[in-house]
Parts: sequence; C-alpha cells; structure tokens
Amino acid sequence: MSQYEDIVVIADQIQNDLRPITFELLGAAQTLAAKLNVKVRAIVMGHNLGSIPQELIHNGADSVYVVDQPELAEYTTLTYRRAAISVIESFPRPPHIAICGATTLGRDLAPRIASHFETGLTADCTELDIGDYEHKGRADPSKMGTYNNCLYAIRPSFGESLKARILGPWKNPQMATARTGALIPFPTDTTRTGDIIPIKVKFEDSDFRVKVIETVREVSDALDLIRAKVIVSGGFGLGGAEGFEVVKDLASAFKESAVGSSRKAVDSGWIPYSHQVGQTGKTVRPVLYIALGISGAIQHRVGMSNSGTIIAVNKDEKAPIFQFAHYGIVGDLYEIAPLLKEQFKKTMAS
Amino acid sequence: MGNGYKMAVLIKQVPDTSSAAGVNPDGTVDRARAKRMINPFDKFALQKAIETRAAHGGEINVISMGPPPALEVLVEALEYGADYGYLLSDRRLAASDTLATAFALYKAITYLKDVDIVFTGLQTTDGDTAQTGPQIAERLDVAQITYCETMEIVNGRIQASRIIDGGIQKLETAPPALITIANSASRLEHKKFANVHMVKKLSRDKAEMERRIKTITLDDIGAEPERVGLLGSPTVVGKTWKLGEKGGSCQLFKGDKPSHEVELLVGAIKSDGKGVEEFVA
Repeated sequence: MSQYEDIVVIADQIQNDLRPITFELLGAAQTLAAKLNVKVRAIVMGHNLGSIPQELIHNGADSVYVVDQPELAEYTTLTYRRAAISVIESFPRPPHIAICGATTLGRDLAPRIASHFETGLTADCTELDIGDYEHKGRADPSKMGTYNNCLYAIRPSFGESLKARILGPWKNPQMATARTGALIPFPTDTTRTGDIIPIKVKFEDSDFRVKVIETVREVSDALDLIRAKVIVSGGFGLGGAEGFEVVKDLASAFKESAVGSSRKAVDSGWIPYSHQVGQTGKTVRPVLYIALGISGAIQHRVGMSNSGTIIAVNKDEKAPIFQFAHYGIVGDLYEIAPLLKEQFKKTMAS
Repeated sequence: MGNGYKMAVLIKQVPDTSSAAGVNPDGTVDRARAKRMINPFDKFALQKAIETRAAHGGEINVISMGPPPALEVLVEALEYGADYGYLLSDRRLAASDTLATAFALYKAITYLKDVDIVFTGLQTTDGDTAQTGPQIAERLDVAQITYCETMEIVNGRIQASRIIDGGIQKLETAPPALITIANSASRLEHKKFANVHMVKKLSRDKAEMERRIKTITLDDIGAEPERVGLLGSPTVVGKTWKLGEKGGSCQLFKGDKPSHEVELLVGAIKSDGKGVEEFVA
C-alpha cells in the first residue's frame, strides 16, 4: 500500500465520443501512478455510455467510476460539476491528484471543481511529473517545509519563452488541466481488466439553471487538427484570406491532413479560430508540420514544436521559425508551396 | 426589466508583448519597461456589455485588479463607453494565483451589489489560464457560459452559443450569470467622440472623476487578507526555465533555383526515415 491516495482522471467525452485528450491523460496518470505506487481512477459522466467504461480500462484506467444518468446526456457545467464533485466526495479521502483536459469541457469544469475544494489548479500543462519540493517562502510561514512526491504541473508561462513548474502540495487533490497533444497516450490493451463502479448522483434543482437548446456538430470534412498526421499552416505572410487556398492545396497532397494557422491570421479574420495552432489555440504533434509564412512567435511555437518533422517556408531568413524548424526554405511561399506539392508526390513515389 | 441590467466587466492590464519595448531578446518580459494594454480578450467582453446595454439598458461597471497603473485600462474602458470603473488595488493582493484572484474579484462583485451579468474575456494573454471566470462563478454560485460567441436576452432569458470541441452548443439561462466571451465574438467598436470628450473633461473635474472611477481596497470589499495574495494562493511557481533553443539544427535551403532547393529538401526528409512518405496522398 502506498501512503498516497490514487490519481483521478476526468474523462473528456462529448456525445459518447471519448476525446483524444482522455487517452493522453490516462497515459500521463499511469506514469505518475507508477512513481507513487498508486492506481488510476477514471470518472466518466454521460448517458447511455455503453462500452466507454471498458474502453477507459483498456486505455489505462485501473477502475472507472461511472455516472450514467439522463441528466448528463449533454454537457452542462452545473450538472457535470455536481456529478464530478459527488464522486470525488464519495472517496474516503481526497485523491492525491486530479487531472482534466484543457479542452472547452475541462477548462469550463475543472476551475469549478478546484474552487469548490479550495485547491490549486494549474492550467494548460504540457508536462506532468512527480517530485519533491522545499518551500522557503518567509512571507507565509504556514507553508514552509519539504514536501515529497508533489505534482509537478509544467506549463509555458505568460506567453513568454519560459516554462514554469507549478506546485500546490498543501492541499489534495492537486489539480491540473493538460493540453491536447502534449502528453503520450497509454498503449491500448484490450486484455486489461478493472473495476467498473456505478455511482448514482442526486441533483438539485439549481443544477439545471442552464438548458441546452441545441448542440451543433461542425459540418466539416476537414479532419480535426488534433488528429491530423500532416498539418499545413498559414500565417500572416500569406497576405490575405485567399492565401489559404494555397495552404489547402498543399494539404491536399497528404493523407489525414488538416489546415492550421497562426494567431495573426485568425486575428486578421482570414480563417476561423478553430484552425489556430499555438498557446491560445490548439497544441498539435503531427508527423509532418509545414509552416507557410509563419514567423514562429513563441505563442505559435509552444503549440507545434513537438511535431515529428517541421518544414518552414519564409522569405525572411531571420524569422525565428528557422531556429526550431527541422528544414527551412527561404523564399516566396506562393512559388514554393506548389513545388513542394509536386516534389513530395515525385520523391515519395519513387 | 425596467432599468435594464447591472453588468460587471472584468478587465486586466497586461504587458504588450507585440511591442519591442520591455521584451528581452530571449522573449522574456521586463514588466517595468513593457508597454501596457487592456488584455485583448477583455475587449470582446466589454463589447458584449455594450451591446446588451444598447438593447436593454442598464449600467456597465468595469472592474480591474492590479497596481495603480491599471487605472489606465479603466479610463480607456470609459472611453469605449463603460459607465463606472473600480480599481481593486492593494499590496496584499500581490502574488495571487487564480483561486485567490477569483476570491478577490468575487468580493469586489458582491461589493457592487445586485450584479445581473458578469462578463469576462476568455482568458488573459499573460496568465493564459481561462480559470478565473469559472472560479468566480463558483464563488458567486451562479450559472456560467464559457467560450461564448454570441448572446442576446429574450424575455429575460439569456440565449447564448458557446464553442465546444467539434461544434457549437446553444444554451439558455437566466441572470445572474457569468459569461466568458471568446475571441471569435464581435469586435469592440471604436471609441465614440462623446465618450472620449467626457473622459477628457473628467481629468479636469476631480469630484466627477472620483464618482466615475473608484479605487477600492480589501477593506472596502471585506476580503480577508489571508484569503488573497501569497497567503490565499494554494499554488506557487516552483521553478522557471527558458524553453530550450534548438538553434542551429535547422537545415536551411536557400538559393536562386527554388525547384532545386525543394527537391533537395524533400529528398532529405525521405532519407530521414521518420515515416512522412506514409502520408503522401
């Protein structure tokens, strides 16, 4: 038996579809759990969840707490808040760590849970780890001391070129949300077994203050950026919205590809926010990332620097993107993008 | 509602990292030298409040927590059309994390009394957490709508659409509520001459200025000092380090024959053996 409590992962599912972040959270949680010698408990909320609890076990949960009730068919902050808090409060002691996705769901829900428990929450982490911490701050003597096996919640900081390790060992659960694409998923193993524990939650009238009128799924053939294997992104260097035609055309040369963009291109109104890669957009790690006319500001970099191969095309040889791309071409993207399309087909076919 | 809605808009002053001033060569920010601006996300929140007042009447109270220079963002908000500003400024607030910040702002909102709708930006550009809004909503025990793109009030009900992963959710609730506005919502309208003129006059009328913009402290809002700042923050920054520069590892192709450079580049990627060819259509 470990002296520590288990780790809780709050599953991210929309309309009975487990989002990729859930598998990444389970992967990270298993790594942390091994260091603490504890287990990973998943909490999943929804309605008619079917095989989802099993799927969580196969992907790294040691046990699954299932709240499957009609009130949870659609995500709302207050109903999911009630369900998550009820499950966590049903444990004899607070979990050591609780993690959620830094998704539109997790970023909506996690702060309410953390505030309810009056505990610390670190947003948008790109790494999670376990380690010791000595607090020397003289301004708050009550916190002084050495703390073992704390959650290290690591995130890019303040839109600057810094990473920060955030700690909150004084209160459990130590909480964090993690960015999609940043953590390594647990390898699926369909022979894994674990306990599935149904929990019945009692709601209050006030939990239904917000009504869902309609959920509209984006009608789009474009693969979700996060799942794409190849991403071609355009930046301010495109010079206008029509530049994205060139981006799309190059993307069409690849399978499982998607179109991304920098924040500046989104801010200029050239492409919707859902395509934005970077600190205030999505974090991606495709096999291949091609950046067309993107300078490579830190805010973009933190969202894509873990891509397998990065190609940058920019007319400015001094652009920061050439400091972290694997390959770069200095030149006019409108000339080079079609050549790249042609050459990839030619070279890779031979 | 006869008198319209009493609204609070939370805004923060952040360093302007798009300006070269105060940004060190390695990308870190020297806050003392950096230019200051309204957190760009908060402008979308202010716009929603302005639209709501135009449709239903009411008053817009802008609240900012920060050191004395943050007064600038309140003055600017009045130029954009806000009615009143509150600067929550107190040395004991220094080093507040999101939980402590949310507690202080929650107390400031209750100090204003009977606020119907709280608007915030989705997140700030310096903290980038998007946590403070929902944490305030939890303290206020009100409904929240985050990532809101559009909203209107019909027969006293807030009808809003929010971005979710893979789509849009249309929601309905009644005030009181806290709404965080996404940066894909409508942009803040230009300052109106009349408002700019009014603010200019305020600078010469101390009494009127103090009626429009108040500086308040923890004592005014009744916030216990041990629940804010360093003491009230459950998290600390343990360590920071610079993102490793991979400088020099980029294989750069340049020359006057782009087709040749492209051929060399794609050839190099193929011989890398990282599996890119698998995804060529």
